[in-house]
Amino acid sequence: MTKQIATSDATTTIDTTPSGKPVALSVEDLEVVYTVRGVDRVVLRGVSFAVASGEAYGLVGESGCGKSTTAYAALRYLPMNGKIIGGHVRVGGRELTTMTDDELQQFRAHEASMVYQDPSQALNPTLRVGRQIIESFTLLGHDKKEAASLAIDALKRVRIADPSRVMDRYPFQLSGGMQQRVVIAMALACNPKLLVLDEPTTGLDATVEAEVLDLVRMLRQETDAAVLLIAHNLGIIRGLCDRVGVMYAGRIVEEGPSAQVFDDPRHPYTVGLLRSLPRHGVRKTERALATIPGTLPLIGSDLPTCVYVDRCPLATELCRTEVPPIVPIGNNGDRFTRCHYPDQVVAIEESVASVNISVLAPSAENPGVLELSHVSKTFKQRNHSIPALVDVELDLALGETLGIVGESGSGKSTLAKAILGIEAADAGGSVSLDGRVMMGSTVGRSANDKRSMQMIFQNPDSALNRSWSVRRILMRSVEKLTNIKGAAANERVEQLAEHLRLTPRHLDLKPRQLSGGLKQRVAIARAFAGDPRIVVCDEPTSALDVSVQAAILNLLADLQTEQKTSYVFITHDMGVVRYLADRIAVMYLGRIQEIGPTDDVFNGPNHPYTEALLSAIPSVDGEAVSRIRLEGEIPSPANPPSGCVFHPRCPRVIPGVCELTEPPLLEVAPGHSMRCHIPIEELIELQRKPTK
Amino acid sequence: MKRFILKRVASMVVTLWLLSTIVFMVVNVLPGNVARKVLGGQALEEDVVRLNARLGTDRPLLTQYWVSIKRVFTLNFGDSYKSQVPVSDIIFPALGRSAKLALLAFVITVPLSIAAGIYAARRQDKPIDRVIVTTGLSTSAIPEFVTATVLLVVFAVKLDIGKAYANPPKGTSLLGELEYLLLPALAMSIAYFGYIARMTRAGVIGALHADFTRTAVMKGLSERQVMRRHVLRNALAPTIVVISTSVGYLIGGIIGVETVFNYAGLGKTMLTAVNSSDIPVLQGAVLLVGIVYMVSTLLADLLIAYLNPRIRLERAQ
Amino acid sequence: MSTAQTTTSVLSERKQARREQWRLIFRRPSFIVGVVIVLVWVACALFPDLIAPHHPLNYRTGKHLSPGWGHIFGTDSTGRDVLSRVIAGARDVLKIAPIAAVLGVFFGVILGLMQGYLGGWVDLIASRIVEAFLSLPVVFVALLSITTLGRSNLVVIGVVATLFTPIVARTVRAAVLAERDLDYVTSAKLRGESKAFIMFREILPNVSGPIVVELTVRMGYAVFTVATLSFLGAGPPPPSPDWGTQVSDTYNNLIADFWWPTFFPAMAIASLVIAVSLIADSVQSVMEGS
Repeated sequence: MTKQIATSDATTTIDTTPSGKPVALSVEDLEVVYTVRGVDRVVLRGVSFAVASGEAYGLVGESGCGKSTTAYAALRYLPMNGKIIGGHVRVGGRELTTMTDDELQQFRAHEASMVYQDPSQALNPTLRVGRQIIESFTLLGHDKKEAASLAIDALKRVRIADPSRVMDRYPFQLSGGMQQRVVIAMALACNPKLLVLDEPTTGLDATVEAEVLDLVRMLRQETDAAVLLIAHNLGIIRGLCDRVGVMYAGRIVEEGPSAQVFDDPRHPYTVGLLRSLPRHGVRKTERALATIPGTLPLIGSDLPTCVYVDRCPLATELCRTEVPPIVPIGNNGDRFTRCHYPDQVVAIEESVASVNISVLAPSAENPGVLELSHVSKTFKQRNHSIPALVDVELDLALGETLGIVGESGSGKSTLAKAILGIEAADAGGSVSLDGRVMMGSTVGRSANDKRSMQMIFQNPDSALNRSWSVRRILMRSVEKLTNIKGAAANERVEQLAEHLRLTPRHLDLKPRQLSGGLKQRVAIARAFAGDPRIVVCDEPTSALDVSVQAAILNLLADLQTEQKTSYVFITHDMGVVRYLADRIAVMYLGRIQEIGPTDDVFNGPNHPYTEALLSAIPSVDGEAVSRIRLEGEIPSPANPPSGCVFHPRCPRVIPGVCELTEPPLLEVAPGHSMRCHIPIEELIELQRKPTK
Repeated sequence: MKRFILKRVASMVVTLWLLSTIVFMVVNVLPGNVARKVLGGQALEEDVVRLNARLGTDRPLLTQYWVSIKRVFTLNFGDSYKSQVPVSDIIFPALGRSAKLALLAFVITVPLSIAAGIYAARRQDKPIDRVIVTTGLSTSAIPEFVTATVLLVVFAVKLDIGKAYANPPKGTSLLGELEYLLLPALAMSIAYFGYIARMTRAGVIGALHADFTRTAVMKGLSERQVMRRHVLRNALAPTIVVISTSVGYLIGGIIGVETVFNYAGLGKTMLTAVNSSDIPVLQGAVLLVGIVYMVSTLLADLLIAYLNPRIRLERAQ
Repeated sequence: MSTAQTTTSVLSERKQARREQWRLIFRRPSFIVGVVIVLVWVACALFPDLIAPHHPLNYRTGKHLSPGWGHIFGTDSTGRDVLSRVIAGARDVLKIAPIAAVLGVFFGVILGLMQGYLGGWVDLIASRIVEAFLSLPVVFVALLSITTLGRSNLVVIGVVATLFTPIVARTVRAAVLAERDLDYVTSAKLRGESKAFIMFREILPNVSGPIVVELTVRMGYAVFTVATLSFLGAGPPPPSPDWGTQVSDTYNNLIADFWWPTFFPAMAIASLVIAVSLIADSVQSVMEGS
């Protein structure tokens, strides 16, 4: 092995990776800048890593770390204002940075391929899928007929059941999962030496995501392409990649075998990142989530010698004057970290406060604050009606968090809208606050009702009016929701800001000038302006980075303890819902399939759908859960299956029963209900053993 | 797709009705004695009454409205006040002549503008792009009669190319006619070059920045293949919209050019009618142009819908 | 702590960048050229007596003198100095066109907001009406109106403004539709804000970009249309120094090689329209950049 390690950012020459296999992709000291308004902004500050044939390497990091840029640079595809100003990228020994356009074109056609983040946009909407796949093969020199049959084979390879039918379709006629399979099929056409996947499952539903990841895993065994996987979800990286590089501000700060890095991190950033995740089933009642002080640097900002120094608990003057060395860890030569004090990293304390939250469930002494009775919502569209919600019954106690999980079409967004009155529920259903039935639509509700129920949205960019200053946003909410006006209102705004850790300076800024986390705080402040009883949170942290998410979750938990606010917390992230929610409801096609206390839902026994959802979570902790595969796609809410809506995909379906009648929601344990025909004792038995 | 066609045709009918109503309202906004206006202040009362009866302008307004709507849908625009000839006999031939001119202008400008737009889009923000955009902007900003005047002065008068008086005498060969129509058509082309080129450019730039173009490049396709098979197909729609709307504007904007070159098209006819207060001719001209515009928009919409697989296959979910 | 400093410097950096963006527009050559030309004509419109060398109606000097030292633009068939007439003619166009454009945009914004936000029947009916208006060629309708309503500046302004309203409404409607489903609007509804508040205080500020662009573009078209109309005889009659009138008055002499009384007013029209269009284009580019 000819790896030379220096105490600075000098180049390293890599021929074989620590595993001993030949190197397929070698990135050395790569520096990339984007030119914005005449100024060069550094995006990659000397990135070095190597991926062997047949190996999967993951690049993980938060926004602005440069992982996507690295992925695209590996195929030398940069936006018009980007350029490589230093370093090397070699694939199969060939240097990319000096290739001519023709050589690059040949390289992309024959040796490297990419799978993209958003498959619906990545495919040409005006061409049939078949034509697009065939194109990948004709590029390699096959004639049309050969290419057509190779295309069918390619589709079979990505486990598409009816390839000829799919070939005839246009991209918009396929589901997200199908589209991504097509993209993968196209990528594998040339049997590439290097396969780059850029967040390939972001935006796909959990069960679909699990399928696609399984597919990638299987395909890896069939080729010996070097795989470079970019993701922000550490669980995915762990499940798929042999080695991982943790990126921060354009540098790899730690690298090593994934299991080791995640179980025993050796860089302060990795430690902070892992601690801010709700791992190992931690609940809000146990402790707050660890957060990393400060904010993520913007892409291209000027940073001192150690990029992490402003946020690091171990930082000293040395860190500001000298570039941290690359320090190997262990004796295999396959791990390193970039830190002046790697030995101190293990000793970083978990400075988290223990919290005193009492779990409150509805009971006789604690009457429900919110009650939904027979709530349905049907959308009428020309000739058919779409039942988005069907007969939902829910209650929520004071200070309780009810988590709602589900995939697309589950009706969880419609549920949020029905509770708040943005969409009026169908006749026959009612939403009650403190026992009093409310008007179906927000417009008809009293001012008091309006202030009692507020919402926090998923996307902080669209949730705040970008033309208003923060102060105005909060003032308006205070004035409209309470009856306080003028100077008193201004005082209250400043109180709110302080409470949510916003400085007075922030009040005079516009949303554009704030980071995602700060924007979300403003949105939360706005929701709490009128001291609401119930706050509906619709995926409030899905658009935020992991480290930012932790701070927001802590904030929400604190506010709840203080104000005894109840939350309806909608999310698709099981780790987050396990942390924050007291009870969980699992929805599928507009119906609640299971509802119960969080621990009960996570420990089992479960509704078969919940079972599948839980097994689909890619775990950072490497906890092996036997994968339950669901057949087919999520049906459209416009055409729900007969009987139990889950029956076409249920691995535990009882023929002759499940497709005929819809099971009622029955209590199977105190506070725990399920909608399933299988008797609970049988379920407990069945779920004790793995299905495969 | 069928559904889409039906919907669009139905809405076109409604729009046509509204169009006629608007025109009727404009004409009848001011109360006035029509016959009096035509015959002049000195005319005898009985002549005025007789003319009013003949023209039908002595009936209640609502009746006149109903009659005018019925007429529009049968493409009968009444008779000219001045010459008592049916308006259709005046405006349809005039439309034909204008259409000839417009067609020539179309043929000259469309291929050039599209080519220029694509060329500029591929070299976005480089000097040549800025030149094309600014030139296009400037030329399309100049009123057609100004361009027509300049061309007339420079070519017909100074250089003796083309004719200053654009009406070809009867019996001229097709090629001969071309010489007469050249300068006015050129004036029109210059005016619309900029608009079409800029829209095409915008459409191509949009397609160039799309994800599917990135996919095509990453597949390893050559630049030409990427442009031909992926970019242009998707950039087509906005260009078609532009071309279709310019059909209407061509006919409408032609008036300045026709006046300068004394060409007996719809525009010049309209101008003559203005000077003699010949309202039916004016009404007819306006409505006719409106109909031409609506039909061309409809055709464009249908074409775009056909090219868009989502609409063509109609909710294949 | 240094964390706060980093945050502060990062945030103020962003604010700096926005100010720079607006400064960018002033650096664009097309913008500068456009503004200069417009300002020249505005000066001519405001102070014609100070700038013009001769009186526009004064025909004591020689007839049909070609452009030369005493008369830079020559004289017309009755001996009037063409340069002075061109300078004086700026006023007529600049009196009418901007008002028509502003009126058109004003009503177009209101209509577009209502169509985009209220939707439903309002949108359906308004869209049909808008479509009908859009198929009417502006000049044709203007001529028709002038014949029936009489020649006056008011009629011209009224017709042009009315015909511009639907065009602006269409652009505004599209912009409003893009905003309508954003969460801040939902949040406003949850506060109980009235429809008017949401339209004018929440959504309108966020569509101001397209509106400004539309205003500048409409200005250009207004000048264009007003000049064409006065060429076709709808403007002030001769011997007015109005540019369009000058062109229509003199173009019959072109064949006799007296090109300058027609050419210079025509160029004046062209320069003004181009200048306004250059400004509009620069504004649009900067808006799109953000």
